Amino acid sequence: MPKHDVAIVGIGQTKFRSKRRDVNIPEMIYEAVKMALDDAQLEPKDIDALIIGNMDHFEGINFSELMCGIEAAPGYLKPIVKVATGGTTGSSLAICGYHNVASGIYDNVLVIGWEKLNEGGATTGIITAFDPVWERPSLAGALGPLALMAGMYSAKYGITAEQAAKVTVKNRSNAANNPFAHLQMPNITIDYVMSSQMISYPLRLHDVCPQSEGACALIYANEEETKKITDNPAWFHAVETAHYYTFGTDDKMYDLPTATFASKKAYKKAGIKNPVKDLDVAEIYEPTSWSELSWTEALGFCKPGEGGKLLDEGITLMSGEFPVNPSGGVLSTNPIGATALVRVAEAAIQVMGRGEKRQVPDVEKALAMGFGGSLWTEILILGKEPMR
Amino acid sequence: MSRKKSQEKIFEIKWKTDLPYRYSIGKLAVKFFEELKENKKIMGSKCSKCGKVHSPPRAVCAECFIEMTVEDMVELSPRGTLEGFTVINYPFTDPATGGLRPFPYGYAIFKLDGADTYTMHFINETDYTKLKVGQRVEAVFKEEREGNIGDIMYYKVIKEEK
Amino acid sequence: MTEIGKVAIVGVAQTKYEEDKIDQTYSELVFEVVKKLHNDLGITNDDVGCVITSSNDFNDGRTIANMAIQDAVGSVRKAESRVSGDGAFAFMYGAMRILSESFDTVMVVSHCKCSEVSQYLVNNTIFDPYYQRHLGLDQISSAGLMANMYMNKYGVTEEQAAMVVVKNRKNALNNPYAHLREEISINDVLNSKMMAYPLKELDFPPFSDGAVAMLLAKEDVAKKMTDTPIWFKGYGNCTDAYYLGNRNMTDLIGLELAAKEAYRMAGVNNPRENLDVCEVSESFSVHELMIYEALGLCDKGEGGKFIESGETEMNGSTPVNPSGGVLSSNPTMANGLIRVAEIALQLQGKADKRQVPNAKTGLAYGMNGICSQGNCVLIFGGEN
Repeated sequence: MPKHDVAIVGIGQTKFRSKRRDVNIPEMIYEAVKMALDDAQLEPKDIDALIIGNMDHFEGINFSELMCGIEAAPGYLKPIVKVATGGTTGSSLAICGYHNVASGIYDNVLVIGWEKLNEGGATTGIITAFDPVWERPSLAGALGPLALMAGMYSAKYGITAEQAAKVTVKNRSNAANNPFAHLQMPNITIDYVMSSQMISYPLRLHDVCPQSEGACALIYANEEETKKITDNPAWFHAVETAHYYTFGTDDKMYDLPTATFASKKAYKKAGIKNPVKDLDVAEIYEPTSWSELSWTEALGFCKPGEGGKLLDEGITLMSGEFPVNPSGGVLSTNPIGATALVRVAEAAIQVMGRGEKRQVPDVEKALAMGFGGSLWTEILILGKEPMR
Repeated sequence: MSRKKSQEKIFEIKWKTDLPYRYSIGKLAVKFFEELKENKKIMGSKCSKCGKVHSPPRAVCAECFIEMTVEDMVELSPRGTLEGFTVINYPFTDPATGGLRPFPYGYAIFKLDGADTYTMHFINETDYTKLKVGQRVEAVFKEEREGNIGDIMYYKVIKEEK
Repeated sequence: MTEIGKVAIVGVAQTKYEEDKIDQTYSELVFEVVKKLHNDLGITNDDVGCVITSSNDFNDGRTIANMAIQDAVGSVRKAESRVSGDGAFAFMYGAMRILSESFDTVMVVSHCKCSEVSQYLVNNTIFDPYYQRHLGLDQISSAGLMANMYMNKYGVTEEQAAMVVVKNRKNALNNPYAHLREEISINDVLNSKMMAYPLKELDFPPFSDGAVAMLLAKEDVAKKMTDTPIWFKGYGNCTDAYYLGNRNMTDLIGLELAAKEAYRMAGVNNPRENLDVCEVSESFSVHELMIYEALGLCDKGEGGKFIESGETEMNGSTPVNPSGGVLSSNPTMANGLIRVAEIALQLQGKADKRQVPNAKTGLAYGMNGICSQGNCVLIFGGEN
């Protein structure tokens, strides 16, 4: 049992777009920060500490937290810490925020993830994440390895391109109900996805997440402060991280073992025996259509090899028993340093019942996932009631 | 926010400073590139505890958490089995050169005979319908080798039953 | 802030700090300290609950620089997370993971190889790309501005500044891990090349390669692992303004507030009397004088007179930087965690030739950014 229960009490996010040329970096972040503060009805002075993250090389700004914490958020004369772990940056920030409050060090924290991807080069930035000696010369950003994973997964279990295309159709039509989502396509069809350009076999253009600009900000509080702020918070039930090898290629790449390690630990902590029955909704980090099918297996939503069937049966649709990515997911919105924090924000929105057109009915517990690095996974479980 | 583009003033600042690095590669990589350059050999490192052979060579066996040294390096076959493949068909800036990397190019993951981990590299095939998981592949070396990973130009599919 | 629980440092390990460790990758540096820590404590990787690392992508020349050290920190099937920045902040995240009762033990690791990239270019990227960066500001030029304004306001002299360098370099002679181990004189400092008036070449630290690791544990586990657990007592973190023009350049306001918070938590009423030893991240000679004032070791503007009094020397009442400080070893991102490690050694009585006798309470100060913008002050005690 943690020393303190921790809840999300304020949520802010920008409208995500491919380019935000109308604002500079601090101005863009401020939009999300202001929304979170207004949501929790807190003044800047009320914030105890800030945790901020993005990936340095995407914008080329070192110690970006010192600029953004002061110029875009109420960080002046306050604690600021930066956490950055690649694709998992948003979930790592979310987990760091949890420990800041659960430890009793702070009563509340402001957690901010952001990226202004098109000011630098994302693919180029991602390539430099890999080993300069062994991996970089042949690497093509994150897409190359994700294409290999999709191909290996498909070859292993006979998952079809049509099943993968259904994920994009599901998520981008869900995104049409999410006013913050980047790619909103209410009328998208399987044919449209399957006839888009082959960019890295078996991945077609619409099998792949976009690059988005935007920010997400969350305010957390301990039980005492939460009572003062809102009667509708989202409580943390579990936060887990699992890493594996240094090189993604050290193990078979057709599945995601870290998602299994992390989710099993999280389910145990949160008292979840059957995730599809005991959880009500999941916001997972699917960089490609194929990966959502694979990740649903790794997270125990279905048996290995049955990710395609799970969607074919409609279980993860908005109308299904266990909706996955009502927000539209990463296939619709991908501001890298904020992507996984948006998963947490959307899980909280579902738990609070504030999802409007994208709301899943009667959500008690929700799962959020981060994915990144050399195939790392982070899992957070939120609930309507505190754990104790 | 004004939606009238004509009234919107957009300013940008270009920042193009080069930030060059000189990376240490470690003793195992020194040996790897020596063998590659001089003898067209591909080396891995073998954990003295669990026996797992890492390709490329690594200083630490992650599972056993023990060190591997140059003495633990073993020769791997230049041949292996294709485990996954793709054809990169989109433009992006190569961080090593600053220019666009030429595309399309074949990119594959395979297991070299004698290794327990997988390796990623180019494959000289841009028609993905000609590639199949399980095909046998072989490294093609440069004639004038310089002691870097580019000395293995690419892997090619070979006809040989496993 | 509510009352916090107990967490201890049970052991620390450092590499020797050197100008150019070209034969080791940064991952191999990390493995060196992690393995040393395991061996010293007689533990295996299974005894480590999770790992917090500190590094900086610009210094390592890699996006997600911590990816490369996963095997070296033993994070197979385990949680590792990375604080981007100075190691003192990573220490605190590690401590929080124990205080939140999520883990029994946490390993904290920090590394930096300054030799792999131009530090002037890296530091220039700290400045915003809109107004300041094009002016070519870096840590040297901004330190020159700060030193000039501070010395002008309080009448501190270049000789007094030089005394800091002489003291720290002399202390480094006793530290086998230190990078620069040569005694120098005040005249050497004063006669060295002018870098950014009023600061000269020897007013600045070298750039170093190195790594540091430590194991933190909750109370009962710590007591089983070592006879000399070092207890975390206080913490303060405070960020000063971003634009140098918005800063009070003559007083380290952020550090002052961070220290006050840490003192309050640790019950330090009179820092000069209560603190037996301090390890601080001084980025240039004059900076250490300003740090004395912000920590309340002397009054505002009295930093120069305070160094003259000898109170911060090894035989003074409050020795500052017995290790030789940053002026002797400067693997930038690791500096804060090295300060913590050195304080742990002092309070354990394991600091050998650089030991301050009977050190019971110590302070470590880590910094992010330029001229004390991000400040992390940590207080430790040898007694529970």
